[in-house]
Amino acid sequence: MTTLLPTGFEALAPFADRWAIDGSITRAARRGAADPAVRTAFFAAAAPLLDAALAHLDRYPLDALPPAEQRLMDMMLTLAHVSLTEEILGDQEPAHARQRQHMRITRTPAGA
Amino acid sequence: MHGERPGFQGMSDDSLAWLGTAPIPAAPYHDPAWFDLEREAVFRRAWLQIGHVCELPDSGSFIRREIEALNVSLLIVRGRDGEIRAFHNVCTHRGTQLVEEESGRRGTFSCPYHRWSFGTDGALLAAPDFDRFFIDKADCALPRVALDICGGLIFVHLGTPDKGLRDDLGPYATMLDGFPAAQATTFSEYVYEIDANWKLTYDNFQENYHLRFIHPRSGAPVVGEDNPFGYPVKMGFHGPHRTQTIWTNPAPAPKPVQAQSFGRAARFAMADGTAGPHSRDYLALFPNFFILGSPAQPFSHTVWPIDARRSRGVIRLYWKGEDDCASRRYAREYAMASARDIHAEDRDVIEAGQRGLNSGALKHIHFQAQEALCRHLFNAVDERVQAYRAERTSATPRPVSRAEAMA
Repeated sequence: MTTLLPTGFEALAPFADRWAIDGSITRAARRGAADPAVRTAFFAAAAPLLDAALAHLDRYPLDALPPAEQRLMDMMLTLAHVSLTEEILGDQEPAHARQRQHMRITRTPAGA
Repeated sequence: MHGERPGFQGMSDDSLAWLGTAPIPAAPYHDPAWFDLEREAVFRRAWLQIGHVCELPDSGSFIRREIEALNVSLLIVRGRDGEIRAFHNVCTHRGTQLVEEESGRRGTFSCPYHRWSFGTDGALLAAPDFDRFFIDKADCALPRVALDICGGLIFVHLGTPDKGLRDDLGPYATMLDGFPAAQATTFSEYVYEIDANWKLTYDNFQENYHLRFIHPRSGAPVVGEDNPFGYPVKMGFHGPHRTQTIWTNPAPAPKPVQAQSFGRAARFAMADGTAGPHSRDYLALFPNFFILGSPAQPFSHTVWPIDARRSRGVIRLYWKGEDDCASRRYAREYAMASARDIHAEDRDVIEAGQRGLNSGALKHIHFQAQEALCRHLFNAVDERVQAYRAERTSATPRPVSRAEAMA
């Protein structure tokens, strides 16, 4: 567990398996398919660490992140999607998730 | 007037009255016969936004693009000389489509059927046993399609343009030069299919009347007490093209992650020099293209007709430079996801509108004064369809005399 996430971000360890996701399409899909309580718990743990996480990650070359940093990066990229449900949509999420599926992501700089 | 409060000065309804006030016929929004006229009158006679120069970085880079409304497949290639050209994706031997991949890089384009090979400039370079044909290679180049570029955006014209692209765009050409897309080197993209007419779909994105009902939460930054419907600050018109300046709530209440995310995007835009004078300007270029000047969400949106009642939307967010750090990658992922959320909310209600129109129950639909951009699009389409109809009527062949036939 010591190398799972960088020092200072241990609190996110219980969420890494589910929320460290490679690819924008999969991140968007996981957000929509998630159990609401599980998604809310991830958001509550990750959102306060967003600034610190990006400040830490900005010290590394993006194309050569160590595994722990890559995991943290992928979690923050998933947070970008999840935060829209948690901060903006609230109880509109179920209907919204169905509508979002029609917006097929085809390309992102992070890798679709 | 009409409930607007001090603090918001939009366009007065009177200043838009020149566009007309009459009800709009409903048939153009669902009738297949009308759409068949639009194929020629609108889509074959306009510059169509089809791609971006960043998709063709090197000599031999190509993209294939389909324009279903005109039954056309295009091959757009950067040549060895650096010039970007568009061709019909058809081998001049017997019509076989040359390229199946959506994009890539090649030195030559070889037909899978009999191996005719074309250069990046469209010239026929080699063809097996060519001596047995009765033609010259010089007459077998790929059919060329007019192409022009403005603000990094590639446009094609499938007919004979009566104006160059910049001339056609008028003052909007200079605006496009100042939009973030003009400096873009990469982009995010998402695509949707919709069971709705292209104009009905497009209109949704050029009126703000629906914002408070369809986007009650995601649209909060663009409505407010001063301007409950989020009407534009300004609208403008040039030929068939139009623009609006989007109103922003002066007292936004962003959520914490939202504020951090857009804050980062804004800082990158300042550092990159993409935060130009047009950050609240929105261009609607006839017939089917939108682009926003916002550096934080620099998106474009093209609505391609498939048939009278089906369309495809292509939405892109254009970025300058590759992801060079975690913060930039994060800010771009957030911008894409949040724009996609808002666009996702519109699709259901547009399709519901189409189902209602398809019933034929309505002879007319209505646009209010602040839906002026929708009315302006209809006027531009209608004018072209009527002119095309008149041409076809007057072009009915007159009887040819025997002497003329013999000559």
